[in-house]
Amino acid sequence: MLRLWPLRQVAKVQNVLGGLTQIATKSTQPAPAPELVEVFIDDKQVFVEPGTTVLQACAVAGVEIPRFCYHDRLSIAGNCRMCLVEVERSPKPVASCAMPVMKGMKVKTDSPMTRKAREGVMEFLLMNHPLDCPICDQGGECDLQDQSMAFGSDRSRFTDNAFTGKRAVEDKNIGPLIKTIMTRCIQCTRCIRFASEIAGVDDLGTSGRGTDMQVGTYVEKMFKSELSGNVIDLCPVGALTSKPYAFTARPWEIRKVESIDVMDAVGSNIVVGMRTNEVMRVLPRVNEDINEEWISDKTRFAYDGLKRQRLTTPFINVDGQLVPTDWETAFVKVAEKVKKVDPKLIAGVAGSTADAEAMVCLKDMINRLGGELLCTEDSFPLNRSGIDFRSNYIFNTTIGGIEQADVVLLIGTNPRLEAPLINARIRKTWIHSEVCVGVLGAPVDLSYEYQYLGDSFIVLKDLAAGTHPMCKALASANKPMIILGTDCLQGTENGVIYNAVKDIAERLRKNLKHKDWKIFNLLQKNASQVGALDLGYQPGVSGLKALQAELIFLLGADAGTVSKDKINPSSSVIYIGHHGDYGAQIADVVLPAAAYTEKDAIYVNTEGRVQLARQAVNPPGMARHDWKIIRALSEILGVALPYDKLADVRARLGEISPTFDQPGQVNESGFEAQAYQLQTEIKDPIVNVNTAISPTMLKLKDFYMTDPISRASLTMAKCIQACKESEKNPYSKQEAKA
Amino acid sequence: MASAMSTKILGPLRLSKQLISASFCRSKSDLTAATGHTFTEYEKQRDKKDVSIIVNEKMDISAISGVPEEHIKTRTVRIFVPARNTMQSGTYNTRRWRMEFDSRERWENPLMGWISTGDPLSNLEVNFNSKEDAISFCEKNGWDWFVEEEKKPKMVKKSYGANFAWNKRTRVSTK
Amino acid sequence: MATNRLVQQGVKQVKPLLSLDRTEARRRVLNLYKAWYRQIPYTVNAFYIPVTVKQGREKLRELFMKNKHVTDIRAIDMLVIKGQMDLVETANIWKQRNHVMMFFKDTVNPKPTDFLSKFYEGND
Repeated sequence: MLRLWPLRQVAKVQNVLGGLTQIATKSTQPAPAPELVEVFIDDKQVFVEPGTTVLQACAVAGVEIPRFCYHDRLSIAGNCRMCLVEVERSPKPVASCAMPVMKGMKVKTDSPMTRKAREGVMEFLLMNHPLDCPICDQGGECDLQDQSMAFGSDRSRFTDNAFTGKRAVEDKNIGPLIKTIMTRCIQCTRCIRFASEIAGVDDLGTSGRGTDMQVGTYVEKMFKSELSGNVIDLCPVGALTSKPYAFTARPWEIRKVESIDVMDAVGSNIVVGMRTNEVMRVLPRVNEDINEEWISDKTRFAYDGLKRQRLTTPFINVDGQLVPTDWETAFVKVAEKVKKVDPKLIAGVAGSTADAEAMVCLKDMINRLGGELLCTEDSFPLNRSGIDFRSNYIFNTTIGGIEQADVVLLIGTNPRLEAPLINARIRKTWIHSEVCVGVLGAPVDLSYEYQYLGDSFIVLKDLAAGTHPMCKALASANKPMIILGTDCLQGTENGVIYNAVKDIAERLRKNLKHKDWKIFNLLQKNASQVGALDLGYQPGVSGLKALQAELIFLLGADAGTVSKDKINPSSSVIYIGHHGDYGAQIADVVLPAAAYTEKDAIYVNTEGRVQLARQAVNPPGMARHDWKIIRALSEILGVALPYDKLADVRARLGEISPTFDQPGQVNESGFEAQAYQLQTEIKDPIVNVNTAISPTMLKLKDFYMTDPISRASLTMAKCIQACKESEKNPYSKQEAKA
Repeated sequence: MASAMSTKILGPLRLSKQLISASFCRSKSDLTAATGHTFTEYEKQRDKKDVSIIVNEKMDISAISGVPEEHIKTRTVRIFVPARNTMQSGTYNTRRWRMEFDSRERWENPLMGWISTGDPLSNLEVNFNSKEDAISFCEKNGWDWFVEEEKKPKMVKKSYGANFAWNKRTRVSTK
Repeated sequence: MATNRLVQQGVKQVKPLLSLDRTEARRRVLNLYKAWYRQIPYTVNAFYIPVTVKQGREKLRELFMKNKHVTDIRAIDMLVIKGQMDLVETANIWKQRNHVMMFFKDTVNPKPTDFLSKFYEGND
């Protein structure tokens, strides 16, 4: 399915290379308030902007029109015909999802003609629909069930069962995540539109016509996208369902708990479905500013890792073996170790899923004991202003703000695998506007067209100096954006790379027309990184070796950056985490904590937005909440922390940073000029970076296991296996070479 | 007045004391006198419609609502608009405000595997028409509360013709 | 995240429950107290509960003092009414021994109050 690229578009891209500034700039003047059109819906007058559809106007009026194929975030298809309403002076009922409103239109949503239309459509849909409700996973939350009860007729006129019968369609295999029972498909084409527009994977389509129309990939191909699970939500019937969740629960017995996801730094809003104290499934929640209505596959399917490899009792390392004990013994052992050690040599490391409450408790406790070094596993250049200014390490433009950008420069990042929802937002911008994307890094498949600038540091230097052809495009842009990934900032030359990017951003900022627009963005990979840096943690574990720390507290640190041979062979390690991963293997004392679905916790996403996650299930066995473990430990060690309740811990967080008192909002970051000033005051020697500026996650199989939770998940293992098999499939799109 | 009321209480009590010490029979008049009493002139005056007293606007019924004290002092209420179920396209449930409590320990019941909890407020989810109603209810009962603002979906302007644009990227490539 | 409590300073006019002002409410409370105080010896004797009269009167004082923060006259009236109902049920021996002993909570295991004991106990 090749996209027709008209010559003008190709020429545009070539022009950028050639140096002609022909980038179409979006009009960024605030549009004058449009003339509102008056529409009468069921004799109720509403005023809507011209260009809205009848269905949207009815929603404004409070009337919800039934639909199958229409979806707010997909393009209009108009093929289910369930949204037909009667419009005055029109002989036929009108598909309200596609018809734009006109001045003075009178719409009747409950007239006999509308009702007859709906009943007719329902009858046709149900005629070929199998009687699968008892065995269908969508039962109880099925659009077809609800709308047939509300709008369908009470009886069927289908008498052909003895002869031709209902149609049946073979099931398609599109991967280990999505279960397809295509007999139930009503050909609404929502999955096709999602795959093509939002996921960028043009794999699903229709073949055949009429009764023989089948939705699928035509050749057996894996639906290879990191957003593939969202078609499960989109499908209004039970044709596409979740394979790991199949036959496990019914929606009415699920208790819904609204929470936040920590598999990546985006902080997507999720709804954790719980039953019998276990997580049954994870669904998205609508949040226009972050994840709209989508979640990535890791978020959706890694919950079965919450039940495997869990730490349920405290452990003590006795002669190389971890022996389970109880809390008092474990605490006493920790106290013994702390007593033997010089307080200045106590350090803490926060892992990728550590919550803000636990981090502040650990910092307070170690500071009270006399230690100073607390760090995160991800490194960040500290040579200049470093982490002193918040705008240096967060996604300043905010995820919603991506939609206004007109040039995006991605440096050393693969947003498709590091933060799939940010990539989805860039793709949405790419579809709806004339944004131009340039990539400096690996030539990965980002699901949209971009200009590849290479992966060497020389290109970055040219961009910083202003001699690269791309600079003209950046300079002429109204709202340019630079997204820097953290993979290239892990090495020793991270300062040089960072400064070069900051140079580019500063030159653009000086000539910016819109003074409120933020150019520089850093895309974090960890859910805990921004929170840790806000609380005063040092990025990178190099300080541990410099200090020769004797006692290290690992707060869920499982990335493998802290290991005994690298740091100090004689040091003791105390691990506070929830999975038996790298951290627990090297630990002397293991204290079991709670995972993200098991505690009321605060996480800060890459935009610096503070969000509250809620407890859905209980920590298993003898595990406790993280901050409570640290608070109890502090009491045993004699430096009791002054807070007893969660509200007090959050008050302490509010003392440190006022962003923690405003959950759900993004605070505008500032001081870019001052941050840059600090940067230029010290002149570094000019260093050439020899390594390629390239992200580490290049293929889809690198995406699935990045967390202790996803590493323990069987579903994620199946996904990686399927990815490997699909590489041998001649029909699947080959990914970029590593 | 009040003294009359107190004698009414003490009257049957003294009688009952005598009765208890003597025998276990109680007369019907004692019972009637104990449970219901004839209205005095004062009380008739008081129960007229136009009598009113002045109290604080902030009502606090935590002492008389029957909720145990630990479940008022230690619980936090979250007031929110429930999230729309993304598997369906109906939004009726998003038109009301709801309050729920922080979750406490739940465990699997050894008999049937159903869920047990020691928390009496675990299933209490009260629905309201507006945020202010929910807040005044929580205030009245003495709970600590916080509100999560409702997230309204943005209305996106779309047109069917955009699917067939010649040179825009919104041109639909698959069916 | 900080939990909120509204602070309102206003007053309003409402229909009274029983008392018209604070002195009347106070009188009701005191009379209820006196009635209970005088009933306790007969209660201890009639129900044969394993509690001395002095302990019973201390418990009475404790339960009354628990509600001393209530300022709304209607709430005070409601508490008086409930106390009165309890008194009538106790005096007429409609309650049974275990109902009277529920005031003393002698079968309830005391919950841990300090942080460390609560931590060892469980997650709440």
